[in-house]
Amino acid sequence: MNKRYVMVHDENKCIGCQACNVACRSENGTPEGVTRLQVRVEGPFGQAPNLHFKYHRVSCQQCEDAPCVKVCPTGAAYVGEDGIVTIKEDKCVGCMYCVAACPYKVRFVNPETKATDKCNFCKDTRLARGELPACVTVCPTDALTFGDANEPDSEVAKLLNTKPSYQDKIHLGTKPRIYRIPTKRGGIES
Amino acid sequence: MIKLDRRNFLKGAGAGSATCALATMLPGSLAALENAPLQGVGKEVASICEMCSTRCPISARVVDGKNVFITGNKEAKSFGGKVCARGGAGHSLLYDPQRIVNPLKRVGERGEGKWAEISWDEAYEMMATNLNRIKREHGPEAVAFSSKKGSLSGHFFHLAKAFGSPNTFTHGSLCPGAYVIAAKSMFGTKLKRDLGNSKYIINFGHNIYEGINMSETRGMMKAQSERGAKLVVFEPRFSVVADKADEWHAVRPGTDVAVALALCHVLITDKLYDQSFVERYVVGFEEFAREVKAYTPEWAEGITDVKAKDIRRIAYELAAAAPHAVVDFGHRATFTTEEFDMRRAIFAANVLIGNIERKGGLYLGKKAKTYNKFAGETVAPKLAKPGVEGMPKPTAKRIDQMDKQYTMVWKNGGVYQSILAATLEAKPYQLRGWVMSRTNPMQTMTDRAKVLEALKKMEFVAVCDVYISETAAYADLILPESTYLERDEEIADKSGKNPAYYVRQRVVETIGNTKPSWQIFKEVGDALGLSKFYPWENMETLQLAQMKRDDKALRHIREKGYVSYGKPLMLREPSMVAKFIDTYANARKADDDGTYASALKFKTPSGKIELSSAAVEEFAPGRGVIRYRDAPLKRADELYFIQGKVAVHTNGATHNVPILANLMADNAVWIHPVTAGRLGISHGDAIRLTSSVGSETSYAMVTPGIRQDTVFAYMGFGSKNKELIRASGKGLHCGNLLPDSTAPVVGMNLHTTGVKVEKV
Repeated sequence: MNKRYVMVHDENKCIGCQACNVACRSENGTPEGVTRLQVRVEGPFGQAPNLHFKYHRVSCQQCEDAPCVKVCPTGAAYVGEDGIVTIKEDKCVGCMYCVAACPYKVRFVNPETKATDKCNFCKDTRLARGELPACVTVCPTDALTFGDANEPDSEVAKLLNTKPSYQDKIHLGTKPRIYRIPTKRGGIES
Repeated sequence: MIKLDRRNFLKGAGAGSATCALATMLPGSLAALENAPLQGVGKEVASICEMCSTRCPISARVVDGKNVFITGNKEAKSFGGKVCARGGAGHSLLYDPQRIVNPLKRVGERGEGKWAEISWDEAYEMMATNLNRIKREHGPEAVAFSSKKGSLSGHFFHLAKAFGSPNTFTHGSLCPGAYVIAAKSMFGTKLKRDLGNSKYIINFGHNIYEGINMSETRGMMKAQSERGAKLVVFEPRFSVVADKADEWHAVRPGTDVAVALALCHVLITDKLYDQSFVERYVVGFEEFAREVKAYTPEWAEGITDVKAKDIRRIAYELAAAAPHAVVDFGHRATFTTEEFDMRRAIFAANVLIGNIERKGGLYLGKKAKTYNKFAGETVAPKLAKPGVEGMPKPTAKRIDQMDKQYTMVWKNGGVYQSILAATLEAKPYQLRGWVMSRTNPMQTMTDRAKVLEALKKMEFVAVCDVYISETAAYADLILPESTYLERDEEIADKSGKNPAYYVRQRVVETIGNTKPSWQIFKEVGDALGLSKFYPWENMETLQLAQMKRDDKALRHIREKGYVSYGKPLMLREPSMVAKFIDTYANARKADDDGTYASALKFKTPSGKIELSSAAVEEFAPGRGVIRYRDAPLKRADELYFIQGKVAVHTNGATHNVPILANLMADNAVWIHPVTAGRLGISHGDAIRLTSSVGSETSYAMVTPGIRQDTVFAYMGFGSKNKELIRASGKGLHCGNLLPDSTAPVVGMNLHTTGVKVEKV
């Protein structure tokens, strides 16, 4: 595997506006009621006036060691050459093992295809056309950066080298590829 | 907050199927058509968004004749090729089965919800019969015309003018009017903010991280994240902008004016202000300085709950960052009855730090005419206007111009809510007809019951819209407009620091039996016998006329969607002026200090910035000088009720759009834990809010992010019209709690009141 696609979510710049969520829905034709991506504005935490919100991106973490792939009995869930965790729709039998196994609770059964579904960095659509994922394209405040972390000159590599970042539930050993730059106030000290 | 967990997901799925079932029963809707074929006109079309009033440049992708993806137009640099959630959901409105795609005539009682599909010819005949009858019997002034501001209002008000009615209104007095009028009284024109280059930003609840204006939102984030600008926010609620601020002060609702005046007091008393700027460009400083002598930070603390030492410190920080600093004058100016002086006090602080035409401050728009003059050559083409000869001059006075204190208001859209008194009490005279275009007073005006009464009393009501909106539900006739993705429009001016034009273009072929509103109102004009006032055939002829028949230039604008000319210019910024002079050989010579400071003039009677205004004193005695006046907004035993914008919806317009309704369907009421505890209210409890005019229920969101004496809800929810299936009955309707109250001079419809809150 020579590519290592990652996404960096700068929680300082994120305003929770859901532009990413809507762009994802329209690019991927996500049916009403289910979602591949959302940003949850959580909180406020702390004591007034020193309050803060948390801007929590909820989407597939593109784990290097993905529990959903391990439990999939049919090989529908697999890790591609590009490292992106993907689902082969026609191989999915809807057993929901992967939905249960995902520690980030981001997999769902697509009511139209009846197969499990989730974010795949717009692999088949935008990446295939040489474009950035839909969420990155529209983000009003440039809070999202996407690219190949193995490429030292890439924007993501530069960001990860210069700014403090964290990943969710790293103690589970899943090695997620969504990196988060924590907000300066509260949460994780930067 | 916005959340879609599994439980809501299941609920959402259920509601979704119910929607479809009911939608098919709505006559005239898109669902009633059988699989209308869609035809694309290009793969990637540049156009202009219309999901809110900002109108960002967009680019829409069309696949198999169907618009599937909308993003920003990269040609527009300050917009960065980005789009917000509302803008990205445009196709969801376009293909919403609930959209109205055929003219509808009321067949039951007004508001009963019984409709019959009719032809356009019948619709026009109905317009002509009713409007001409009212004109014949009572004069054309008995018909009010109201519209959402912007590209839509031009052709609509052209009809009003041709018809002979002076009574035209936009949503100005329900949202931005006060800062526009305050700016006009002081500078003679509107001003723009250069947030992106600012080093210090003071913000009075202008939440542009939720009420998104793409270039300003991006500018502010750029200032904060790339330039390390400090952001200070005064707002009763912990909003997203308060969260992103370096400092948040939970100011008492409606008292921002006292903070702004105290800032001015410190700047003047401690001689921190830009004295040479004031000497050169300002009149009325002495009167203002005399007035603000009393407005110490200590005085302000008692009124605003913001600590005096903080106000003093912030004034010093502001002065230290000047002139690359700004006190933001806001967006939705409906907080208090003293809006005029609140917005003027904010502008005054900007004037005192001399940030006009400086980076990071305020500046005047540079349209082609001005810019070309400085450049000494034609850098940008000037748009021409098609002349229409012999337009009638209304003989009657506007209903909001009997009271001369509103002199400055009418050109900015009038006092919209004056329609209510004119209809219900014949003050100053009786209105009998109301024609509307994409405006929703039942949701955006205050005192819903009164608006309803006025609508019911009208002899004829016609509404042009894309949905049976909260207001359209009470119309006699609904004219279905094509959405912005289905229509061409004139070239629009988007000039900032340099000239720029952009154009709305159709992305897909028109769906159903809809028409663009410019065409509808042209054809209504024909039906009314006013054809002679329409010398243009269609949009192409108008666009060509604008470009003086230069079809190459027109093609260029249409292809790019957005064209910017020249380089950014701020007259008092030496680096920008130097670059400008380098670029244009015949450019105006710079002053000795390397700027165009001597060319900076204002369109006021004195040609200077009027910190105190004799003209205002003339039409509103006692209002010439900015001063503090106590403006009680609630009774002692009530809580302040305030509202704001959310990033996924626009005022009263988008709550039925499928994707957006699915994201956020209702508005919880923010209430402080101490207040909630006192009232026995827990998180998620159903609660009732009762004001002097109405009562609404929603549920409680107990949060420390609000003052103890205040409750907050996002506006635009709680529709009571059953046709808006996804929005109806969800959350509380703000207009049903707010009394009908108008601010002096600026004519703003007040959006703050007192409420009692109880658990139900």
